[in-house]
Amino acid sequence: MPSDIKLRAKIRRYDPSVDAEPHYETYEVAGKDNWRVLDVIRSVYEHQAGDLAYQFACRAGRCGTCAVKVNGVPVLACQERCKPEMRIEPLTPFPVLRDLVVDRTEVEARYEKHALTPQRATEYAGGPEAIEPKLAEELCHMDSCLACMVCVSGCPAVAERAFDGPAFMLKLRHMAKHPVDTGNRLEQAIDAGMLECFGCDLCTQLCPADLSPAQAIREFRREMIFGGSAKHE
Amino acid sequence: MSRTEVFPEHTDVLIAGSGAAGMRAAIAAHDAGAKVVLLAKGPRRANHTRMSGGRYNAVSGLNPGDTTDAFYQDTLDSGAGINNYRLARILADEAMDRAYDLESYGLAWDRTDIRKYYMSMTGGGTFVRTLGSVDEGIGITEVMLHQLHKRGIRICDFHMLADVVQDDDGRVVGGLALDLSKGAWRYFSAGAVVIATGGTSQLYETSSGPAINTGDGIAIALRAGAELVDIEFMQFIPISFVYPPSARGYTLTEPAHYGMRHFDPKAEAAHLVNNKGERFVLKHDPVRREGSTRDVLARAIMLEILEGRGTPEGGVLMLPDSKVFESFLKERPIYVKRLLENYGEGQARLEAPIQVMPSALYTLGGVRIDPSCRCNVPGLIVGGEAAGGVHGANRLGGSSMPDIQVFGRRAGIAAAEDAKEYAGAGAAQLEKAHARAAQLEACIGRSDGVRPPDVKKRIQKLMWDHVGLVRNGEKLTETLAAFRNLREHVLPTVKVTSKSRVLNREWMEALELENLLDIGEAMAASSLQRPETRGAHYRTDFPETDPNWTANLIVRRHAGALNVEKKAVVMLDQASPQRENVGAIA
Repeated sequence: MPSDIKLRAKIRRYDPSVDAEPHYETYEVAGKDNWRVLDVIRSVYEHQAGDLAYQFACRAGRCGTCAVKVNGVPVLACQERCKPEMRIEPLTPFPVLRDLVVDRTEVEARYEKHALTPQRATEYAGGPEAIEPKLAEELCHMDSCLACMVCVSGCPAVAERAFDGPAFMLKLRHMAKHPVDTGNRLEQAIDAGMLECFGCDLCTQLCPADLSPAQAIREFRREMIFGGSAKHE
Repeated sequence: MSRTEVFPEHTDVLIAGSGAAGMRAAIAAHDAGAKVVLLAKGPRRANHTRMSGGRYNAVSGLNPGDTTDAFYQDTLDSGAGINNYRLARILADEAMDRAYDLESYGLAWDRTDIRKYYMSMTGGGTFVRTLGSVDEGIGITEVMLHQLHKRGIRICDFHMLADVVQDDDGRVVGGLALDLSKGAWRYFSAGAVVIATGGTSQLYETSSGPAINTGDGIAIALRAGAELVDIEFMQFIPISFVYPPSARGYTLTEPAHYGMRHFDPKAEAAHLVNNKGERFVLKHDPVRREGSTRDVLARAIMLEILEGRGTPEGGVLMLPDSKVFESFLKERPIYVKRLLENYGEGQARLEAPIQVMPSALYTLGGVRIDPSCRCNVPGLIVGGEAAGGVHGANRLGGSSMPDIQVFGRRAGIAAAEDAKEYAGAGAAQLEKAHARAAQLEACIGRSDGVRPPDVKKRIQKLMWDHVGLVRNGEKLTETLAAFRNLREHVLPTVKVTSKSRVLNREWMEALELENLLDIGEAMAASSLQRPETRGAHYRTDFPETDPNWTANLIVRRHAGALNVEKKAVVMLDQASPQRENVGAIA
């Protein structure tokens, strides 16, 4: 049985259209120890701060739109268990629309730029394409990336260098592995700053969908150095 | 006060909704030559499709015993004979082609061999025919979204459709949208407007869908003069998570519940027991037992809970079959993880009893459409969960995914056609958009009154208690009176405390309230008008299925008042349902 718990949430408040700079407000919340961070945020909105801007939709770790930083670590608010003391902030390094909600315009532009549909040499002929069952499973895993930007937010290379971020490398690798795709995904990955990755593996540790963008990057690098094709791994 | 500013622009086709139905409509309309703008109420990935397990009913030819006729028949049987037969037929006939479309977009359906799809069974079907992929609804929405990106289709995130705008003849000529990210109004004049805003699960206290599924599009269509069909039918999923609060109501996929029956129609599903250890489902369906349809199971569980034989947290216990764990882990790893995080290792391994409860899942009724997804209001096209008639009184597990693909595409094609034919000037109706926007601003700056989340909770409780799984005439009448009271005395006092127009959640919820009330009222009114039990609609005062009610209820709104009318089912010659009493409780 979950037990009662007193929580203190220090939330970053900022309305760029009005405020000169952000400030923090602290809210005391009576909750349960099995609550998620999202439960705390919703409670603050419902009982204390009707003007709090926050984003969520599915509350089940699937839409990927509720990501925030809790005590400095990027997480999905709906999946992260609450802590007695929390500092809750919007995901960096993205522009803030208001309070905990970031503007993803540029993120979506990157997805669009990377042309993440299979680039076919010949038109789709109908019926099941020739894909090994194991490969199909692997493709699906890579396609279950939530695009939540948790890994991009946590990536030290993104913070310092010109690098689109781990999530985009994973999606490029997904296409590289797709049997019908003829795009030069390695070149795209390099152009998007893949070589700036430190190889720290933080993206894998943070991923709420248990995916490994770092592995995608390692595979691209191996291919770059030793040659070969993603299609035959 | 200064005049409300509304920014006008024009497009051929305006689509509201960023789930699969909206995206499929966008692809089809674009490919037919139309300029398309797609409105997403939240960020584009915040949609119901993404939450789905992505199971997809289609006749692939891989099961030699299965045919599109059998799929069609299953759909009618599950729908208790009141489906729109023409729409059900189209679903059965076109589902596979749309599954191949997804394959062409880059989705890798699960396979058993290089060119053979993996198939399983879901609730209500009689054949092994359901396709799936490990990436579930996430993968389906991702591959579709990249198709939109590829086509350069404009997607407006954080744009909530507030209402459609009609010319003096009643033709829809555009949509008024609130750009929540800026707090600004936009009027898109358009040759056709597609409603693909999904269902109304947020009408209920415990629901499976995303928080933004407040039935906006259905309510907008109703206000514009469209007819609703089967709106009294709300599908509840029998097994969803009970805790923690954020996860309450989230669907707990069927393989866990179905056990070996997931692969073998003769096998036993996981037993469900109350706090006395009794297999209560046997009282309700001694033949199919726990393998019964979703409506029967959800109702059986709800009755146990209501009658005090549930767990302290408000659920019942499912005794899973650990033999299915390996395939469960392989097929649905996401759910194994959720079970582990929410409940514990024993439950995740399907070794310990799992607490489950019913949850509002899918709006079976909706706007009454023809096979092209047009409705009785010219210029207004509706596809996906917002439309009614395909599934009748109950839906097969795995049939929402093909529905939104098949009818999403049809909606897009119709919209492109209508836009091409339309020579009018929607821009001339900008004044109407202004007037409506001004009305929807009234709640801002009101000092006394009640906050939107409080009203929403009242509506959700009324719906859950009286217009949910268990209904009766007296309570439905009371609920209608309560809704009238909310509309007349509470809605005009709704206040928004937030001063910022940017991402003003209270304001969005205030707009949602009118939609929730419009649909809640339509559901309660049509539930009251159906004096029988059928499919998802259970009346304790009329517990039997009445053959005279193998008919549809059509709801219309005229001068603010609801009109509910009984109409004959749209039939085809070839087939009729084999059983009509599947909903009855002895």
